[in-house]
Amino acid sequence: MNRILVLFFSGILLFSLKGTAQDKLYFGQTEIGALVGRSEEQWDGNYKRRVDVSLMSFHGVRVSKNQVVGFSVGFDQYNDISIIPIALGWRGFLGKDGKPNFFGGLDLGGGTAVLEKKVSDEWSKSWYKGGFLVSPSVGISFPSLKSKTAFSFSLAYKRQEITHFRGSLSSPGIQTIASDKLPPGYSSMTENSFLFRSLVLRLGIMY
Amino acid sequence: MKSIFTHYSLLFLLSVLVFSSCHDEVTTSYTYHTMMPVYYEMSDIRARTITTEPAKPLDNPGKIYIYGDYLFINEPTKGIHILDNEDPANPINLSFIPIAGNVDMAVNGNILYADNYVDLLAFDISKIANIQLIKRVEDVFTHMYYHQTGEIITFKDTVITTENPDWLMEGGWMMDASMSFSANLSAASQNYGTGGSMARFTLSNEHLYAVDQSTLRVFDVAQPADPSFVKPIDLGWGIETIFPFGDKLFIGSNVGMHIYDASTPNSPTRMAVYEHVQACDPVVVNDDYAFVTLRNGNTCWNGANELQVIDIKDLYNPTLKKSYPMLNPHGLGLAGEYLFIAEGTHGLKSFNVGDVMAIDQNQLEFLTDQKSVDLIPGPKSLIVIGPDGVCQFDYSNPSQLKKLSCIQVKNPINFY
Repeated sequence: MNRILVLFFSGILLFSLKGTAQDKLYFGQTEIGALVGRSEEQWDGNYKRRVDVSLMSFHGVRVSKNQVVGFSVGFDQYNDISIIPIALGWRGFLGKDGKPNFFGGLDLGGGTAVLEKKVSDEWSKSWYKGGFLVSPSVGISFPSLKSKTAFSFSLAYKRQEITHFRGSLSSPGIQTIASDKLPPGYSSMTENSFLFRSLVLRLGIMY
Repeated sequence: MKSIFTHYSLLFLLSVLVFSSCHDEVTTSYTYHTMMPVYYEMSDIRARTITTEPAKPLDNPGKIYIYGDYLFINEPTKGIHILDNEDPANPINLSFIPIAGNVDMAVNGNILYADNYVDLLAFDISKIANIQLIKRVEDVFTHMYYHQTGEIITFKDTVITTENPDWLMEGGWMMDASMSFSANLSAASQNYGTGGSMARFTLSNEHLYAVDQSTLRVFDVAQPADPSFVKPIDLGWGIETIFPFGDKLFIGSNVGMHIYDASTPNSPTRMAVYEHVQACDPVVVNDDYAFVTLRNGNTCWNGANELQVIDIKDLYNPTLKKSYPMLNPHGLGLAGEYLFIAEGTHGLKSFNVGDVMAIDQNQLEFLTDQKSVDLIPGPKSLIVIGPDGVCQFDYSNPSQLKKLSCIQVKNPINFY
């Protein structure tokens, strides 16, 4: 699955380079990088390192000379959980045309867990639910010789919430009281809320 | 302009990095059904004045009793709704009597009996607009006493969410959902309908009989307004329902059916116990046969889902005549030659039981969309209690039940 997505995003990148550069209003940015984080505290008080792949493709329009608003989609891997982040984003630039520029960005949205399969058997069901995502970033871009495109290096913080549910099903024939806290048909529900905080290092192309 | 934005974003990034710790967090919560013990001082309960309140929507209906043109519908542990059912196609919710701990009732003449935790109450209902509490018989359902000081214990079916990883230890009352429901509401919702087969209060021969899980309690009600407690009779564990027929009492337990001779009403004596596999089993009876449904569920999980026809011509020696497979039969009701069975989520069935050896061939109707738990063949209508509400059918033609009305409930019971 991950490999397919890498290919998919590489495709987007190449396509964008070729097809959209002439439109000055449009701004695109596609990056690949690594999510680096530390796990939750372990039983012995230590943390485990977490390093996974992160892909992002941002598409926006220039609202002023140095500002772009748009949306981003991507792919983030957190241990064995695969997330598709979808966010609204902003990019702002500092610098002169044709020279290396500093840029900052902010993405706000949500991560969806559509890639995670629901697991169910006779007694229980379990599934993931995506959640809120915020990712401020800073970076530097180096214009290529063809000045319409630029290579970018960026550093971002990414905060992603994901919830895992595991519910035990009520046995057949059993009556239960209605409750807002438990969905119908379940006798119990275990809810694990993950909050992933990562540093993201990315390389990419702006066009 | 541009620098303001850039500075702002840098500032934002910095603040996020500085003010949030930089490792992952996992929080786990566990949500489950349990029975929370609730303690009351009986003296506090008795100090409350009980007066009729304006009508309330049906929340979670329990037992139903037909009294003339009125329907009394119990709201387990809360009280009794009074409905005007003069027109079964259009029942009108009149009022509500708040009675804490109430799960059952019976009407004798113009007197309504209702339990109030450990006490039995008698109300004068001759003026339906002005119901009066006229007597309280104290300390009769003593199994609820927690200890000698007058404190009672009840259990509230509760859904709890905890983030304590040691949730198993919390409160110490961790129970399975099935246990929890049956522990509390088996005394209530599971046993719908005094007129129905899942009754726990019953009147016979100027006596009121009340069964709890292990005891039959006898009250003398020869003076309806002045009930007096006679004695308790130990029945053994797992008693669920009571059905009077003639001067006999048929008591359903989850291991069998007890037959008691109540010809001496204040001292019923055991005639026979018909034992079957462990299952929940409401009973209805005619002159020759007892009809018992066995089902799977709650505390009776043996897996049998069937209708048993028991020959009771010799009451000292009941014998199984025939059994028929069913889906998940709950309450049942007999009206002459016709038998109605509430099949839980599967629906509602009607049979002609004129030939008890061929009941399966005489199924008249099977309404699969009418989820039902118990039913009462009343004088005006067949009253069917289900998870979605209380519905009434015209059953003058048992092979073509005609729905007259349905009272929706606010908080339907889910059962699966």
